[in-house]
Amino acid sequence: MTDHSTGPATRRRGALRGSLWLGLLALPAVAFFLVFSYAPMAGLVVAFKEFDISKGIFGSPWNGLDNFRYFFSSGDAGRILLNTLLLNVLFLAATLAAGVTLALMLNELRGRYFKRVAQSTIFFPYFVSPVVIAIMLQVLLSGPAGSGGAVNDALAGFGLPTVSWYTEPGPWPWILTAVKVWQLGGYMSVIFLAAITSIPEDVYEAGQIDGASRAQMAFRITLPLLKPTAAVLLVLGVGRIFYGDFGTIYAIVGDNGTLFPTTDVIDTYVFRSLRQIGDFGTTAAIGLFQSVVGFVLVATAVLIQRRYSKETSLL
Amino acid sequence: MTAALTSTLAKSSVRTATRRRRRPEAFTVISIIGVTTFMVICLIPFWMIVSGSFTDEQTLATTGYSLIPRPFSISAYKLIFTGPTLLGAYAASVFITVVGTALALACTSGLSWVIARRLPYVSRPLSVFAYIPMLFTGGLVPLYLLVTQYLKLQNSYFAVILPLLVAPFLVFIQVSAFRQLPEEILDSARVDGAGEMQIFFRIGLPLSKPILAVVGLFYAVHYWNEWFTALLFMSDVHKFPLPLLLQNLISNVSFSQMLPTAAEQSTPVYQLRLALTVVTIGPILLAYPFAQRYFVKGITLGATKG
Repeated sequence: MTDHSTGPATRRRGALRGSLWLGLLALPAVAFFLVFSYAPMAGLVVAFKEFDISKGIFGSPWNGLDNFRYFFSSGDAGRILLNTLLLNVLFLAATLAAGVTLALMLNELRGRYFKRVAQSTIFFPYFVSPVVIAIMLQVLLSGPAGSGGAVNDALAGFGLPTVSWYTEPGPWPWILTAVKVWQLGGYMSVIFLAAITSIPEDVYEAGQIDGASRAQMAFRITLPLLKPTAAVLLVLGVGRIFYGDFGTIYAIVGDNGTLFPTTDVIDTYVFRSLRQIGDFGTTAAIGLFQSVVGFVLVATAVLIQRRYSKETSLL
Repeated sequence: MTAALTSTLAKSSVRTATRRRRRPEAFTVISIIGVTTFMVICLIPFWMIVSGSFTDEQTLATTGYSLIPRPFSISAYKLIFTGPTLLGAYAASVFITVVGTALALACTSGLSWVIARRLPYVSRPLSVFAYIPMLFTGGLVPLYLLVTQYLKLQNSYFAVILPLLVAPFLVFIQVSAFRQLPEEILDSARVDGAGEMQIFFRIGLPLSKPILAVVGLFYAVHYWNEWFTALLFMSDVHKFPLPLLLQNLISNVSFSQMLPTAAEQSTPVYQLRLALTVVTIGPILLAYPFAQRYFVKGITLGATKG
């Protein structure tokens, strides 16, 4: 066996050695996934245990489905599941609609400079931390002394009654939806604009020959051609529908119990019961339930989407 | 012949039509108004924060917020830049962002490269391995137990950095970017006797600078804004990163007692809160013109890939 031998065997060994080196490159990420993604999946056995922190995950006694029974028989389950679904459906529908609308409108802008400035501006909220959004919302809705705020000032200016927003659960699904549109409208519009630029120019030329107005072109040509992109985003969104967007909602609502009837979602509920009650078993059970339902939802969505448009399928 | 003629005719008529169209149509006008309105809505909350942060606390309390700061006051900013707490939070956020982004970028690039090379028996299982966490997660409780009971990372910045280290979505963006590198270049390096590592570090990475910038920015923004893991795992006030400190200022006004106060004067809590918000957004604003271009590239790539 010399350095100069060039048989297929050595070459294969060389390739193998190459793969080993390459494997080394992937190692940190693999370790990350094992520790922070896969180990917690195994840790879900806590959902079936009467967890005792001193005994650890595997030393604690089993208690079957008690944790699940406890959650579903408590009065909270229905409200939380409903809130989670309702809010996420609102968020998804509103951000998709806003994204499409903004993209269609941006597409109409002719001035290059204005278009670029507009795009940069509406994209900006995507960079803003949920905590900062929470503060902006306080400025708008509550003011420094706990009353007033810019919106109330405006309402008073029009002679309308002011609202004490932070004690009134009713409007909050809409407020949170508005926040989501503010935050993600620009982001979504960029995705749709990218899809618009890939529409071949001659489709529009044909439309122009037929005497279509700009509005007709937008609604009869562009909009239908955006469907596949919207479908992909919808599937991605459906996969997340059972997750409560914890960061934003908790930053805004926090521990303000008055607003829980309309804003408490799975994630915030889990976080609170973990922090305040320390009930690991039940919260893990809710988490498992959430993961399973989420998985079923995304799998169903992908299958349905795949049936209707093969070429844009995700998997 | 006739077909060719009609098509030329059509083309010329299209051209004259586009040229003739001087007066914008209703839909175009509506669009301009619509986009401008949304632009204003995007900027107003931010402007109110900036304006409020320069408004005297007393005025804030009595007349509320306004679009023009009157009387003008910079006392909140003075407090921020003289107190150790806030500078500490800034340092914490910078550490989390810089170290987190560097580690995340290294891990993501390494994994993506191996997947992108389409190695038999390796690449495909690896991509499935990275895909599954997008579909199914262990949830909060196991993660909490892992970090606090097994890794004992409480009050360490790594408790914020590590759980978010690799984002599967960004892995797939990187993979598709790596796959666009011309194979010939890699082959010629191989012929010249470069090892796999050399190819990665000396050719793959330098040729992928734009996508590294994109992915790096995604991670950087994420880490800069991250407060959930900090909320979960940090209890030592002196180690709070910026967003968590801000959150504390919202929910807990008495927290402001920690801040340095000028002798007799009381702390301008609300003004301070707004000033701190401005300071938090600051770095993002500075990086924005550069970042936005790359971000658009990144999400466009991700969208067309999907």
